[in-house]
Amino acid sequence: MQMTDLAQVILGGVALGSIYTLMGKGLLVTYLTTRALNFGQGDFLMIGSFMAMALMLAGVPVYLMVPIVLIAMAGLGYALERVAIRPLERLPAGAASALAWILTTMGFGMLLQNTAQLVWGKSRYYSPQLFAGEKGEVMSLWGVRFYMEELLVAAIALSVVAVLYWMLFRTRWGKHVAVVSFDKGTAQLLGINVRRVVVSSYLMMAGLAGISGILAGPLTSVNSHMGIMFLLKGFAAVCIGGFSNPLGVLIAGLGFGIVEALSGFLDSSYGDVYPFLIAFVILIVRPTGLFGESHTQVR
Amino acid sequence: MRHLRYLLAAIAIAVLPLVAPNPYLVTLAQDVAIVAMGAIGLNILLGLSGQLSLGQAGFVGLAAYATGLLATKYQWPLWATLPVSLAVCAVAGGLMGLVALRTRTHYLAMVTLAFGYIFEVVAQRWVTVTGGAMGLLGVPQLNFGSFVNGSQYFFWVLGGALLLVQMLSDYVMDSRIGRGLHAIKESESFAATVGVDAAAWRCLVFVASAVVAGLSGYFFAHQSGYLGSDAFGLERNTALLIAVVIGGLGSAYGPILGALALIGLNQFTAQFYEVSYFIFGAILLLVMTVFPGGIAGLLKTVRDFLFRRASVGTRPQVKPWKETEPQPLAAHGSTEPVLELEDVTKRYAGVVAIDSVSLRVDAGTVHALIGPNGAGKSTLINAITGLGLADSGRIRFCGADISALKPHRRARLGLARTFQNLQLIASLTVAENVMLGLPRRHGPVAGLLRWLASGRDAAEERAEALQLLAAVGIEHLADEMPAGLPYGHRKLCELARALAQKPTLLLLDEPIAGLNEQEAAEVGARILSMKARGMTILLVEHNMGFVMRVSDHVTVIDYGRKIGEGTPEQVQRDPAVIAAYLGDAQ
Repeated sequence: MQMTDLAQVILGGVALGSIYTLMGKGLLVTYLTTRALNFGQGDFLMIGSFMAMALMLAGVPVYLMVPIVLIAMAGLGYALERVAIRPLERLPAGAASALAWILTTMGFGMLLQNTAQLVWGKSRYYSPQLFAGEKGEVMSLWGVRFYMEELLVAAIALSVVAVLYWMLFRTRWGKHVAVVSFDKGTAQLLGINVRRVVVSSYLMMAGLAGISGILAGPLTSVNSHMGIMFLLKGFAAVCIGGFSNPLGVLIAGLGFGIVEALSGFLDSSYGDVYPFLIAFVILIVRPTGLFGESHTQVR
Repeated sequence: MRHLRYLLAAIAIAVLPLVAPNPYLVTLAQDVAIVAMGAIGLNILLGLSGQLSLGQAGFVGLAAYATGLLATKYQWPLWATLPVSLAVCAVAGGLMGLVALRTRTHYLAMVTLAFGYIFEVVAQRWVTVTGGAMGLLGVPQLNFGSFVNGSQYFFWVLGGALLLVQMLSDYVMDSRIGRGLHAIKESESFAATVGVDAAAWRCLVFVASAVVAGLSGYFFAHQSGYLGSDAFGLERNTALLIAVVIGGLGSAYGPILGALALIGLNQFTAQFYEVSYFIFGAILLLVMTVFPGGIAGLLKTVRDFLFRRASVGTRPQVKPWKETEPQPLAAHGSTEPVLELEDVTKRYAGVVAIDSVSLRVDAGTVHALIGPNGAGKSTLINAITGLGLADSGRIRFCGADISALKPHRRARLGLARTFQNLQLIASLTVAENVMLGLPRRHGPVAGLLRWLASGRDAAEERAEALQLLAAVGIEHLADEMPAGLPYGHRKLCELARALAQKPTLLLLDEPIAGLNEQEAAEVGARILSMKARGMTILLVEHNMGFVMRVSDHVTVIDYGRKIGEGTPEQVQRDPAVIAAYLGDAQ
């Protein structure tokens, strides 16, 4: 393998890995507020991809397409909180309620998937490029040729991650999320509108999934069941990165993308299995992730 | 009652293929049985032990390929491939169970999901072995050589196997195994204090669910003679999960009801192929948010509504409490202390919570451990019961060194405790909570056989629990759920459970905190009567009047150190103790 090939492959990995990071962040943000992960988040991404593709094909410029998609996604995020998360508060403790969110969010995702199938069918689509005119447009840097699209996708995704960090650690909203995550009762006593923080976290999750969808479309093919793989990889990123470490998700997400790109390059038939095998082994050796607390969760 | 149910089920299985109007219905019934089998395994795993596996289809596929490959490539007879394919699943399930010991909740969901995904991809791509999506062709059907009646014979064998699996599942749910799993689901550390080895059980449950899933895979492989990798993907995982949830998570007949509903829905949605995901998604949402008990829960509500009046007044009579024989103490005579602590030290990240405390609790006495808040009393109790291992020092129980023993081993030796923060299992009734404490009467196999023969064992356990509840005066609450009881009654329930363990040494962590005076007096009387029967009691309590009244010996600790010791009178006069409680006069 030539060095220039390697650099290209790694850039592709970084581009996809930054999307996995965004997905992981989306899972994490609702976990913080409600201890629930959206198992239908992959379908949120899929809807984002389809909407972006449809709007761009209809001639809507990118700068208009993005806000439209994000507003629609926010609506979906609100709906998810309303129908799949809030009703679970009424369930009696124990029994089914501890993991009920897995099933309700999965169910919500199935609704989205079916909607997409009714509108677009089950076939694959190739989304128009967001930035470059065509797929093959390249840029030369120190003699290495990069695909423009991948470079820009990675740059944008990583900036979104940076903005999210700023929001979580430097704004009042971030502090509220931290308090709600610590204890809902305490948050209420401190005068925080817990419901609003919870809803905002679901809007944030949906927004992140929407951005992931917009960015992922041009890199891969768009189809109604594309969501599950992005969900799995985002999930893997959060688990490896650890739910308690904010930087962990970034490192794990990028790492997953790079390993995936390299193993796909080296072994075309089983390339996509190795990252999961590695994730599997990491979780066995370090059950709360590479950067999580080293002890197991004891109740 | 139970036998009648099984008999009826057996008759139904025998008759169904004979009266079925067309062979297609028999095939459908086979599908229901195959799904139900896998769902029973998942129901035990998720519904009872609270461990979510999103990779059950991997186990189904593992067994299916094991038996399929052995039968096609090596021409093994089908009776020989069965144990091998189940063994493969048992090993895989055991490995997954070991993983599950380290990873919990959503991490476990991730790991099992990854396992299922890896399995699917390998099955799909390793075409030379599995045939991939095109499938492994020519897998022999389980038809006993009869092409005409083969499907019927297959159904009989499959139905019989399902009935056996259902019976095993019923046994697990009825018996102490099920109660133990409920306890593990809610709190592993609590489960250990009633002698349940949580780690081993969690792992075994994974093995059991994998083997049952494998059994369904075995039948799946020999149903149609074709094995495609698509059958073991995410769809089957979701299907199993949906079946368990629709049927009613954790309920005995949930999986069968759920499998019936799922296959029925599949038939129904075949015409609405376009919107099948709408239907399943809506079901998941609705079932979980509106009736989380599923079909089984719905049926139970209906039944309770119809028969509520009939059940009043049929409450079993409680016999007067019999004074049981005192538990024999250590074999070497009762002059030996029951519990002996030698320089026990426990640190939490630099803070010394207990600083080389030595303690001796004599047989047949009530020993009180007192001290101001934060003195280290609960830490000491945890060190004794094993929930928090001491950093150094020795703990001897009836002469045997238990310093390194796990909490469940200590509990089995005769150490029982109550908790300052009550630990009652919310999904079990008051009586069942007490039954958690009863020692095991028979091994699992003997227990199964006795359970099959009659319901007497369960009735005896229940009677014993009722007696213990009567002893603390709350037998009329036996069938309530603990969450609905007032604090004092829950406390008494915990006491009854600790007594059920027939302990040599009973540790009571603040037994009368939150009780009214009359209840406190009753607990005091109970403590003295337990002492009279030869039980040894170590008590942590803040109420000085109570401590002075019931105890023979008092140890005072403060800042993790022992600062005084003696009879109640001696301790009351000890200047160091007075200083610790009232502040130094100087």
